[in-house]
This record gives sequence, structure tokens and C-alpha cells, in this order.
Amino acid sequence: MEASVEFTTAPIVEPAVLKAGLETGAEVEFRGIVRQMEHGRPIAGLDYEAHIPMAERQIRRIISDLNASCPCHAVWFIHRLGWVPVGEASLYIRIHASHREPAFRFCMALIDELKKDVPIWKRALEGGN
Amino acid sequence: MKVLAFSTAREIAGFAEVEIHVDPWDTPRTIVARVAPALAVGNLHAAVDYEHWEWDRPVGEATELVIFPPVSGG
Repeated sequence: MEASVEFTTAPIVEPAVLKAGLETGAEVEFRGIVRQMEHGRPIAGLDYEAHIPMAERQIRRIISDLNASCPCHAVWFIHRLGWVPVGEASLYIRIHASHREPAFRFCMALIDELKKDVPIWKRALEGGN
Repeated sequence: MKVLAFSTAREIAGFAEVEIHVDPWDTPRTIVARVAPALAVGNLHAAVDYEHWEWDRPVGEATELVIFPPVSGG
């Protein structure tokens, strides 16, 4: 399985659409987008920070572990850091797998694990309308 | 050892990074008590050399301690 893990302070640019392998029957994409409301209050955006070396190591381990239960061919993971205004993506994931079930399950589980263990933090900045 | 503090832990500790001499039997709890005595570790987490770590587990020959609040990525 191929895995690409990236952190960026710039708006997320989706990876070029590569031709899927001949055994890839499912492509799942996920974008996490900053919402206008946070805990019932309007915000202007979220400010993200991370311990990047540890975060990358943890993400790669999660991907490797998940591949045992949800076999996939390729995973792209991009997390934006710094200031992310409302309406823009802070997270992008693309999964290639043989079938839709492992692809969807992999994507869901990767986000669940990200929110449990990976050293990334966000802070809401108020000021939205 | 390099000690890093992130997010709200950085604000309470008053530093983002400090260098400190530690002994192999030191633990994250004893190290934090020296570098940031005002920091209550109750709701915080520790990681040593990129691995999550118990507060009372000796750090051995590790080179980096990170203290941080619960994560919130995504």
C-alpha cells in the first residue's frame, strides 16, 4: 500500500488524479471543512497547530494498522495547519481500494483515530457573522 | 532533553521549548515540576520521543518530552 502524509499551511491542493491501479474498484474522498458555528457561537475560522514529526509518525502507524483490517491500495492524507477560514478545508483524505466497503471503513476509522491520538490542536477564533 | 509545550500547555508553561538536563529515572511529572511548576498535569498528556507516555514512567535516554492538552485535529 502507498501512503502520502502531508501537512501544509497553504490552502489544500488535492493531489493530481492519478490513474488508479487495475485492481482499484473504489475511490473515496473526504474533505473536512471549517464550519461557521463552533459550540453554538459564530467563528471566523480555526487556527491549527501540530507537532508535525510526531503527528506524521502517528498517522503513518494508524494507516499501516488499518490496512490489516481494511486493505487499501493507496492513501493520501493532507492536514492544513495555521489559520483556516470558515468554508475552507482543513483535512483531505483519498482512499483507493478494491471495494467500497474497505475504502469507506478505512476513511472513517482514519478520521476517528486522528481525533483520538494525533498531536494536532485547533482553536476557534471568534468574529464570524 | 528538549521539552516542548503545545497549545494551552504552552500558554500556561510560558515557553514553547526549553532544554534541561534530566536523569534516566526522571519522569515527565518530575521534569514538568522543574520546568513549569505552575503547570497542573491533570488534564494534559505527555509524549516522549514521539510516543505517548505515562506521567510516572522514567524517560531513560530519550531526547524529547512533549506536553500538550487533549488533541483536536480534523
